[in-house]
Amino acid sequence: MRHNIFTLLLFSTGFCNLAQAQLDAIQKLDEIVLSDAKLVQYTTGIKVEKLNDSIINKNSVSLTGLLGFNSNLYFKENGFGMVSSPSFRGTNASQTAVVWNGININSQLNGQTDFNTINATNFDAIDIRSGGGSVQYGSGAIGGSIHLNNNLEFKPHFDTQLRLAYGSFDTRMTDVSSSYGNSKFTVNAGFAYVDSDNDYKYLGADRVNENGAFNNVNFNLNLGYFISEKDVLKLYHQSYNGEREFSGTLVAPSNSKYVDENYRTMLEWTRISGAFSSKLKVVHLNERFKFFENKVNDFFSFGKVNTWLFNHNLNYRVSNTLQFRNILEFSHFDGGGSSFGNPKRNAFSATILMNHKPTDRFEYNLNLRKDVTSDFENPFLFSVDGAYQVSNTYAIQFNASKNFRIPTFNDLYWQPGGNLDLSPEQSYQLDLGHTLNLKAFNFKLNTYYISTEDLIQWRPDNSGDWTPINVAKSQSYGAEIEAFSKVKLKLNHLSFSGRYSYTVSENIETKKQLIYVPFHKGNVSVAYSHAVFSMFYQHQFNGEVLTIGDRLSGYNVGNIGFGCLINKNGKVHYDINLRVNNFRDREYQNVALRPMPNRNYQIITTIKF
Amino acid sequence: MKLNKLLLLALLMGLFFASCTTDDDDTPPEPRGDYENGLLISHEGSFTDGVGTVSFISDDFTTVEHNIFSNVNGRTLGTVVQSMAFNGDLAYIISNVSNRIDIVNRYTFESVATIDTGLNNPRYIAFANGKGYVTNWGDGSNAMDDYLAILDLDTNTISNTTIPVEEGPEEILAVSNFVYVAHQGGFSQNNKISVINASTDDITETITVGDVPNSLELDNSGNLWVLCGGKPSWTGSETGGKLFKVNTTDNSTTSIDFATTEHPNYLAFENGNLYYYLGGSVHKMSSSSNTLPSNAEITGLSFYNMTVKNDFLYGVDAKDFASNGELKVYDLSTNTEINTTTLRIIPGEVYFN
Repeated sequence: MRHNIFTLLLFSTGFCNLAQAQLDAIQKLDEIVLSDAKLVQYTTGIKVEKLNDSIINKNSVSLTGLLGFNSNLYFKENGFGMVSSPSFRGTNASQTAVVWNGININSQLNGQTDFNTINATNFDAIDIRSGGGSVQYGSGAIGGSIHLNNNLEFKPHFDTQLRLAYGSFDTRMTDVSSSYGNSKFTVNAGFAYVDSDNDYKYLGADRVNENGAFNNVNFNLNLGYFISEKDVLKLYHQSYNGEREFSGTLVAPSNSKYVDENYRTMLEWTRISGAFSSKLKVVHLNERFKFFENKVNDFFSFGKVNTWLFNHNLNYRVSNTLQFRNILEFSHFDGGGSSFGNPKRNAFSATILMNHKPTDRFEYNLNLRKDVTSDFENPFLFSVDGAYQVSNTYAIQFNASKNFRIPTFNDLYWQPGGNLDLSPEQSYQLDLGHTLNLKAFNFKLNTYYISTEDLIQWRPDNSGDWTPINVAKSQSYGAEIEAFSKVKLKLNHLSFSGRYSYTVSENIETKKQLIYVPFHKGNVSVAYSHAVFSMFYQHQFNGEVLTIGDRLSGYNVGNIGFGCLINKNGKVHYDINLRVNNFRDREYQNVALRPMPNRNYQIITTIKF
Repeated sequence: MKLNKLLLLALLMGLFFASCTTDDDDTPPEPRGDYENGLLISHEGSFTDGVGTVSFISDDFTTVEHNIFSNVNGRTLGTVVQSMAFNGDLAYIISNVSNRIDIVNRYTFESVATIDTGLNNPRYIAFANGKGYVTNWGDGSNAMDDYLAILDLDTNTISNTTIPVEEGPEEILAVSNFVYVAHQGGFSQNNKISVINASTDDITETITVGDVPNSLELDNSGNLWVLCGGKPSWTGSETGGKLFKVNTTDNSTTSIDFATTEHPNYLAFENGNLYYYLGGSVHKMSSSSNTLPSNAEITGLSFYNMTVKNDFLYGVDAKDFASNGELKVYDLSTNTEINTTTLRIIPGEVYFN
């Protein structure tokens, strides 16, 4: 069967009568190659931007650096490399889901993912899905979700890549990855290591960034094997070990350290039979951290959670224009830590997705989900999205959804304060998008409204003890613009991408903009190449933000890079790149009192064979 | 009604002032600075991304100025201003997270010195025998590294010699040549008072009191009152508050118990009466009483700290700790509110200048 798919793909181009069969084949191929096919098949009305590996490789290894310059997300980073929380459409880190190969990996302890603890290398694609996605991706997918995906290529190949980088502040980076495959079996593995003293100078102050060093090791292994014509077994694994000192501020020293480990393993059995495709997944996630208030002492606080997750996906194609997907998921969480006992939680969810394309121009999805959790009641979730192709170049997308964010282990069990009477945060939203696809120019405009209630916030009670309560309501609305352009003239390639977002995100009672949400954020990237020479410039603007009791000015920061392809003869590809970050050497702070790096340099070489 | 009270207050103070000057019969004293004759309120400020501040409010509440340290000195205080203390014309402002003490003229707020060595999680300071004694938690996670730093008040330098003490030294109070330290317990809970001889800098006695001694007050008869909050319920071994009286001549103690679920705080002493805060209410008892008052004076409060002076209660409300706080002033003769002033982020303590 798999031969049929490839044969179809190979020879079907241009044969109109094969179009439907081709679609069918592509969808089956998605189920095999992709770890999360629903991200492609059931997102008609959702804005999804894919960053491919060439963009991933060109950028900083952390998700913060990558997405700050290549998406509409705004990041609040406690100094370079330190704790980094995203704000997606004016929401917060707890309302942004990070999804690894289809599995939500936000911490069970604090409900967030620190975007500086995700090493972006060795993912084949990073997708940015804007807007609510709780029906498909669970708790926290309110503002949007970030998808880290590994693909499996069942075709004969054997590729290896080695990247080495060295830069300012004694920053070293090594990345080795290799991929092998044939029509029956494929494996890819990657190893990445980053190490930095991160002791940059504070511009305008007679000091450097003390106690800011970090290092992390990241390992990925992905395997796929056809056990029969219809059955594929897949294994995905990622481990991350990070050690970071937490730097101080302009007015407060620090000598603390944070060590965290994450292990993620997923075994998946895919069976494709006629109109049915079934996926059974068994997932084990392990997260653990240790926080040392003083790095030279052995005193630390810790937290850990073990997650076992069983997921079954059944996709049924009723016809070429109608398909259903049913997802059943059971998870068991088992935590432990210095500030709470050994809480356990069981959760079950049932999801139904429907994808229907009544006409050539119109396609929509209807999605429903209900969760049952051992600790609290969950709302019934839904989403509707669709797209209408107005003309060959212009389409309208829309979606409406109800999403949620469950209380975390910290919210429920932290001593002192943990509150067992919490309910999930609930959010409604609407999103309208326009896409314009011309030959050399693409344009997207999205406007949205998000209303969230029962926000969980830690507040002091009458006796002065802090406890989380479902207290606040917030609303966000705004607009996002994205433009892409590519021009090719003989050996000259010029590409451009630009993004701007206007975000109002306010507490409904006080009508005040939430802290660390800029009204204005934008970025621009320009890349040019001529034969073996290439260069790029990327620029980011973050507008003024409110902080607690104060405000912090906006800033502009720009990076520039030059590359040269030294050898592309034969099978070996060798290039060398120079990158200058903050090349205008501007003083800026992303979080108040925490200056960001001065001008710094990086040399990167890549060898592929 | 409110206005009458204010007028009465102004009148009383004017009379008092007038009687002083007639006695001295000399030229009126030069104003010592912009921040004389008013309240100084220390603010912790944002823990994550801010600095502490000090606000000035004139005695008649008509003049309010925030951020007076940075207004005068063109730079900020450190992160989490925990406390302030006066010694002569100087004020010592302790920034806990920044491990820093800023010394200023208490009336002009002009900086005199900044101390940023020898401190680790500093909390409070008291003065005896020409020295300042600063309580330091050390690392919050380490129960064995707590100490008193000794500040030479002539040179404004911290001595290399420290006084190691029990865990969690918090409030500190000097009684002639002795210094009393309340060991609230830091991140944990403790139940001790250390007594240090300021001549030798030795610990001469360790007094066991109730759990979590959170405030110290000295009365006019040389008794040290120690209010203990008790262990909170989340510890799994909840204990009730206790009010201890320590006779500072022989350090003997007597005490009164609160109920197990009662956790009082913010003790104040004024005109023979003790005031404390318990579950959103202010209670008053005579220092000669052997029993706790059964009724509250004022209820429905949300104070992060409070103190009493001249029959007026000054309480600060830190709100949600992320928006501006408030000062609320009550006339204790009628238990009515006479003033509310908007403050800044996390107001901590009220001082009288």
